[in-house]
Amino acid sequence: MGLIIQSVGFGLVTASVLAVAAVGLTLQFGVTNYINFAYGTYLLLGGYLTWTLSAKAHLNFIVAALLACLLMGAIAVVIARTVMQHFVSRQAPLFYLLIVTFGLSLVISNVIEAIWGPGFQTYNIAVGSPLNLGPFSLTPNQLIIMGVAVAAMLAIHLMLTRTVLGKAMRAMSDNKDLAQVSGINTDQITMVTWFVTGCLAGLAGVALTVTTVSFGPASGSNFLFVIFAAVILGGIGKPYGAMLGALILGIITEVSAVLVSAAYKDDIAFVALIVVLLLRPQGLIASRGRA
Amino acid sequence: MDLILPYLATLVVFFFIYNIFTWGLNIQFGYAGVLDFTFITFVACGAYFAGVFALGPGSQQNGFEWILGLNLPFPIALLAGALAAGVLGILIGLIAINRLRSDYMAIVTLATGTVIYGLVSNFTPLFDGFDGLAGLSPPFAQALGLNSNQFTYLWVVVSGVVMVICWFIAQRILTSPLGRTMRAIREDQDAAETFGKDTIRVRLIAMSMGAVLAGVGGALLMGFIGAFSPAGWTSGETFVVWAALIVGGRGNNWGAVVGSFVVAVLINEATRYIPPVTADPTLIPTVRNMLIGATLILVLWVRPQGIIPETRRRFFQLPLRPGSPPVQEAESARG
Repeated sequence: MGLIIQSVGFGLVTASVLAVAAVGLTLQFGVTNYINFAYGTYLLLGGYLTWTLSAKAHLNFIVAALLACLLMGAIAVVIARTVMQHFVSRQAPLFYLLIVTFGLSLVISNVIEAIWGPGFQTYNIAVGSPLNLGPFSLTPNQLIIMGVAVAAMLAIHLMLTRTVLGKAMRAMSDNKDLAQVSGINTDQITMVTWFVTGCLAGLAGVALTVTTVSFGPASGSNFLFVIFAAVILGGIGKPYGAMLGALILGIITEVSAVLVSAAYKDDIAFVALIVVLLLRPQGLIASRGRA
Repeated sequence: MDLILPYLATLVVFFFIYNIFTWGLNIQFGYAGVLDFTFITFVACGAYFAGVFALGPGSQQNGFEWILGLNLPFPIALLAGALAAGVLGILIGLIAINRLRSDYMAIVTLATGTVIYGLVSNFTPLFDGFDGLAGLSPPFAQALGLNSNQFTYLWVVVSGVVMVICWFIAQRILTSPLGRTMRAIREDQDAAETFGKDTIRVRLIAMSMGAVLAGVGGALLMGFIGAFSPAGWTSGETFVVWAALIVGGRGNNWGAVVGSFVVAVLINEATRYIPPVTADPTLIPTVRNMLIGATLILVLWVRPQGIIPETRRRFFQLPLRPGSPPVQEAESARG
């Protein structure tokens, strides 16, 4: 029993990483209306940039991570501007963009392997000894990740509800044409959304690679499906749904790692994804009046 | 001379097998619009099942472990591999194909493939995990008394014959009423449904038929190489087939042939024989993968219809006049 409660604690850590990643993916999906299959490689690139900035350029880890997040935001904007917008502006069929982002993931993951090599990297930060907090036992790094994730979610919540930018994003997510005739500069909002998405991907990438301690070019490829599962569970394009989906899946995967086997952790997330698709494809939080 | 010929023969075998793959994906995506992002899983299914039907029983004693091990002749193994892939196509199709957006189809196929990859690699009693199947002696070689070079030439003939059969199947589906229904669903699912077509069933058939061709190609690969392991079917391999189809031109089988020659033979297979850079042995495969991904994006950018575009079929001439005869499947190049 103690082990299961313990695993709930790890589940909260996984959920934190997952929530940041899932909100980034779903925000971009809501605004642009197509899925970015290269998103998993964005996460990994964020982790590698942080590693280079901290281990090679000898920056403070926090500074390196922040810089990497901003860099990822910029990279996401550049890629969207040069590649995706070309197809969007020509109103190419949806499957073009799916294939393009699918191809992009192959290019980026191989660029990563060409630059950083096939080996594994480790951040030069102390793992720290676990602290006992009630029934949970977590390392300081894991606590920091949870804190950062909660802060990021709060920031996203404030952005979506309190700022003109966030309201414009939500308007575009509801109906792009109506948003445009209402005087919203949809191109600009799309690019800002890509920037926010890139930053969140970078942040999630750093958090993911800190929790896994060492990481290589193939890390995070399975994590993309857990992100997809969280996004679909919460209802695609809905940031609050993604947070809820991440919380549920984070705990389910870590508890099942104790109950079944850690090797089948991702398969459990996949089963959850299938069950949701079969029973409730609109997600847990369905919008009113839409299928 | 005695080095170049077997090398060319090997490339021809790969070209034939990739033709079969690309036609399979063409049936799924080119005909019916099913976004199958895990095509290579069906190839692997065909290869593995053909392997365990043709190989002898594996046992834990000699370190090889796999199911079945029936020692059957290769043609039966090939059919078993094709059948297994077809069944897997229906199973994955049942989850992936529904009335939801096409994004879901792409996500579900990609996710299913990843999970199957993980299961096959980790669960050794099935197909020997990461080590994979090995030790299949070249089919027919012993009976005919062939050396390894002669076996390569034999395999050019075997895969050529199988390829021609697959060509007729793929062309037959394309021009049949079933193929027309598939293309109608690809263009407009709602309209096809209005005309009483069971769009989910037809897409399932397309998924399964494409998977059968994938399985046939996989079985031929297994017979040719004699071994198959998870290293041979990473998700990157799916890109190769996709790039071949998009570059050549989807919806018609000649385009698929051109695409499989350009991508699968010129870019993918021929570069395997460039000696590796000693300082960085992974550099050439990495650059090759980048090239394939970039080709995919670039072709969709400059020539989305591919090198050989699909021809539009017209069934009547507009404006309609009384007494004017219907045009019999007239083909006109897409404008």
